[in-house]
Amino acid sequence: MSLLTKNNNHVSTETPPRRAIVPRYEVKETADAFIVTAYVPGVDRAALETQVDGESLTVFARRTWAPPAEWTAVYRETPAADYRLALELDHRVNRDAVRAELNQGVLTLTLPKAEAVKPRRIEIKG
Amino acid sequence: MKLIRYQTSPLFTPASSYPTLRDEMDRLFDVAFPALSSLQRGGLFGDWQGEFPVDLYQDKEGFTLRAELPGFRKEDIGVEVADGILTVTGHQKTQTASEKEKANTATAVQERRVSRAISLPENLALDKIQAAYENGVLTVTLPKREEVKPKQIAIEVK
Repeated sequence: MSLLTKNNNHVSTETPPRRAIVPRYEVKETADAFIVTAYVPGVDRAALETQVDGESLTVFARRTWAPPAEWTAVYRETPAADYRLALELDHRVNRDAVRAELNQGVLTLTLPKAEAVKPRRIEIKG
Repeated sequence: MKLIRYQTSPLFTPASSYPTLRDEMDRLFDVAFPALSSLQRGGLFGDWQGEFPVDLYQDKEGFTLRAELPGFRKEDIGVEVADGILTVTGHQKTQTASEKEKANTATAVQERRVSRAISLPENLALDKIQAAYENGVLTVTLPKREEVKPKQIAIEVK
């Protein structure tokens, strides 16, 4: 799995075109899975979409909060954008067992390794 | 002659941590090119360190501060007001789960510390400040003191 960002500029067609940025993320490898951690503060569980299709994993996370109309922004540092992260998967990922978990703005994706690439001990006979 | 108290921007950091032009530029780049700046700061695999983005809104009732602090537990976030300065801190310690994982990472215990100080305007009701943490966003409500809210007084015209 190269886990390189893939075509992240693509804008989802079914939603009004709102700016989407690539969230900060990191990838860790354990013996039996790749763990992707993406930071998506301001995203509610219901506003999160994770899709696995063939060669890619796409996460689309929408910011659910918007300031009430009578509020004026005095100072802003956060981008008013949704998050979109697309990762390329290769043969080492078991696509059927991908798990996603969202906790306080941190999305943890567990991509288990396919059985074929897990280390296997081969007994020597004779 | 009227003397008007010089008021700095509510988000002005105190003199000890006065932002340099470089800090301001970094922040600007963070907002404009988030992917790029995460690369710059210790790479994609590095931890978030130091600062976190903050928004400040104003309405009739007062100010609302929103800070993006993903991945903390409620009890690991501290909000403190002292001497007109609001300090938001986050301190998180993660113990790696298994021995196996320990072999892969440089340290068994990962620590993340963030903090930010914001100087507050004078006219706030300090005892009514409230904070909430949801979806990785800390919201601090800073209501104005009653007497500084604009009041409408009807004056009878004779």
